[in-house]
Amino acid sequence: MLKSFLLRRLQHTLLLLTLVSMGSFLLLELAPGDFLTETTLNPRISPQTLASLRDRFGLTKSLPERYFYWVRSAAQGEFGISFAYDMPVRALIWPRMLSTLLLTATSLGLAWMIALPLGVWAAARQGSWPDRLLVLSTSGFLSIPELVFACGILIIAAKTQWLRMGGLPLAVCVLTPVSLPLLLRHIRAGVLTASGATYVRAARAHGVSEMRLWFRHVLPAASHPLISLFGLSVAGLLSSSLLVEVVVGWPGLGPLFLEAVGARDFYVVTGVVSLSAIFLAAGTLLADMLLYFCDPRIRMN
Amino acid sequence: MRDRIPLSLAVSGLIVLHGICLFAGFLSPYDPTEQNRTLSFAAPARIHFFDNQGVFHLRPFVYNGNSTRVPLRFCVDAHLFGVAAPDRIFLLGSDDYGRDQLSRLLHGGRISLVGGWLATILSLGIGVVVGTFAGFRGGWVDEAMMRVAELFLALPWLYLLLAVRALLPLTVDPETTFLLVTATIGVIGWARPARLVRSAVLEAKERAYVQVARGFGAGSLHLVMRHILPETRSVVFTQAALLVPLYILAEVTLSFLGLGLGEPAPSWGNMLAPLRQYHVLTSFWWMVAPAFFLVPLCLCFQVCADALTKSNTPC
Amino acid sequence: MMTDRSTLVEVRSVTKSFTRGRWYSAQRVLALDSVTLSIHCGSTVALVGASGSGKSTLARCIAQMEKPDGGEIWFDGRNLTALAPSACRRFRTRIQLVPQNVAASLNPRWTAAQIVSEPLCVQRWGRANDRLRRSLELIESVGLDSSTLQQNSSHLSGGQRTRLALARALALEPRLLILDESLASLDLLLQAQIINLLIDLQARHSLAYLVIAHDMTLVAAMTDKVVELQQGKIVRQDVYTC
Repeated sequence: MLKSFLLRRLQHTLLLLTLVSMGSFLLLELAPGDFLTETTLNPRISPQTLASLRDRFGLTKSLPERYFYWVRSAAQGEFGISFAYDMPVRALIWPRMLSTLLLTATSLGLAWMIALPLGVWAAARQGSWPDRLLVLSTSGFLSIPELVFACGILIIAAKTQWLRMGGLPLAVCVLTPVSLPLLLRHIRAGVLTASGATYVRAARAHGVSEMRLWFRHVLPAASHPLISLFGLSVAGLLSSSLLVEVVVGWPGLGPLFLEAVGARDFYVVTGVVSLSAIFLAAGTLLADMLLYFCDPRIRMN
Repeated sequence: MRDRIPLSLAVSGLIVLHGICLFAGFLSPYDPTEQNRTLSFAAPARIHFFDNQGVFHLRPFVYNGNSTRVPLRFCVDAHLFGVAAPDRIFLLGSDDYGRDQLSRLLHGGRISLVGGWLATILSLGIGVVVGTFAGFRGGWVDEAMMRVAELFLALPWLYLLLAVRALLPLTVDPETTFLLVTATIGVIGWARPARLVRSAVLEAKERAYVQVARGFGAGSLHLVMRHILPETRSVVFTQAALLVPLYILAEVTLSFLGLGLGEPAPSWGNMLAPLRQYHVLTSFWWMVAPAFFLVPLCLCFQVCADALTKSNTPC
Repeated sequence: MMTDRSTLVEVRSVTKSFTRGRWYSAQRVLALDSVTLSIHCGSTVALVGASGSGKSTLARCIAQMEKPDGGEIWFDGRNLTALAPSACRRFRTRIQLVPQNVAASLNPRWTAAQIVSEPLCVQRWGRANDRLRRSLELIESVGLDSSTLQQNSSHLSGGQRTRLALARALALEPRLLILDESLASLDLLLQAQIINLLIDLQARHSLAYLVIAHDMTLVAAMTDKVVELQQGKIVRQDVYTC
């Protein structure tokens, strides 16, 4: 049962990844120019050199040929070569990905650690003034754009000389509050829906103690949307921090991607997009599996 | 009735913000592209009523570089306010080329807002057409379209936007760039509204009155126009309230990263672009001026979206 | 009483099945299993049976809302199942179905006038003025006040809604009216009123009724024939002669 479920999800994921890579290849093909277009304008580089470079990068081959080259290379874990750095994309992306993951995992972990107890607590005391304050401030925070928030934090950090702590703490300081309000909002809503259910009211009428009510009835019921939310968080591990990385100057995938996009470094763009799509798919898969283990209704069906 | 207070506040806030940007030409003191190389990064001017000696003046004034009083003049040359010619007034400071930030903010707002609305209309237009068609036709058409939509949703949005934008020519004239950026943002976002419209259509299609109308021989056109499209209205409005700020921010992000609207035409995004240089960010705080508009704008839209969502879900 | 009348509808061994689930795990569920049935002009046939016995499916097949998998449906001497869809559309107006949930069959955004005249608009019947006059006529023929025309359908009471739905169904002068448990949501007094109205209408327009009902007591007063379905099969056919 679990096996067929997993197999179906895996099939789905693979299909999706194939389509994503094909799509990005097609798009890049449609775009005017390639990595060497600007070099063509340089009079000091002879046409022969250019031709040999084109040949070496495989730019003279047809689209399907290049795609198959890329698929083979991806299967070996190389994901093609970067024209600008003249090295396998994997070697280029790997350290960048690790630093992005370091940043996002830290701040997401932090955000969850704050949001989960706070959200449940607010839902448990729905309508009280701390809850209202929380709801209001969540809405307020939600409407501050990420870019503006990042700039604001940087200015504050510079004015108060906090920047000396630099690097990771600063980036985390920016990214955590950015992801916090949405989490908080969803967690509170999820718990509220669960605690308003008829069987919870029935249990309360039966005289079940508040403690037992929350831990046995409400929270397990609320776990379903929370797990989906967690899956989404995991899915966004690679893609949620692009802007923050660029603003703060964190050497993650974001700046690399921007640079590659600007230089039309074909395989790097495809590699990063595919990688983040893989993470997105993995996040959903993870959420599905967790749901499978936590929710008896899915197991039955 | 009390629930309506935030909504009406938000709507009037939106009207005011849009109005300000609409009348940018009158409200702003200068042309947004007018440069003053000698006055780059001038700090915001403070308006005084009392001079250094503590004497009150009815006409507000600012101090210029030589600490002389420069009185404000109102309603001159089709501008709300200004100062006599050689002096300049920069209420929100000036940027690296010495251009007035306030004028750029208001004129840029016009471009950013129009861009956001256009992209939203485009997205919703595609979404409604595709969603209605897929939902109403059903079968393999529906299946195929929703698979494509899923593909669009499976990609990280910002990455996709950047990748597609980078493929399009970067150095073209401002109008073309504006249209290109807007169209890219709008087209990439079609999937979510399409899915939501589709599910609304699927629900509406099964309604008893649609079935009855089929019973007396109503054609698809009649059913879609008279019964089904009105049912998607609430979805469309909610999505609009969510998408407009999102797309304004998308333009801001693209321009900030240097892939959006280029100089010299102002937009909120390229006004923020100098902040990528660290020394600008730390020394000239007034360069974040677009934030003064972006935050209230997003807040108002969000309150509207919340109110719309709430009114659509019966409790 | 009814032997001298000609046959209006003839259902000949109609089968219909549905697939449940997606294509890789599809299950076939048999809803109608070679059902044969005839309805005479101006008569009333009651269709009874437990829920899920295929009553509604049969009604929808006769009303041309579903295509049967096998068998034939003859209407007024024509084989509907063999007709092209375009020709079918014309015949649809001759058979009208008043659905299970009458309230849901009225678009809540519309006024009563819009609802009653919708069939006329769809069939391009007359001009706007003629349509208005006809809607007024229809509304009055089902015992509604002409002032209800301007009211929004969501503001009407249960009985008014049922009457409105009947008026709309009668707009195109059908020969057969299918009432799919349309009275179930009304209270007893209202049901009795509507049944009297139905009998009255039958006499005036020489309508045939196919009435689907849970309990027989409701429709016993007006039926000529009772057909009982069980799991898609006809298990009993009683002809009342009164």
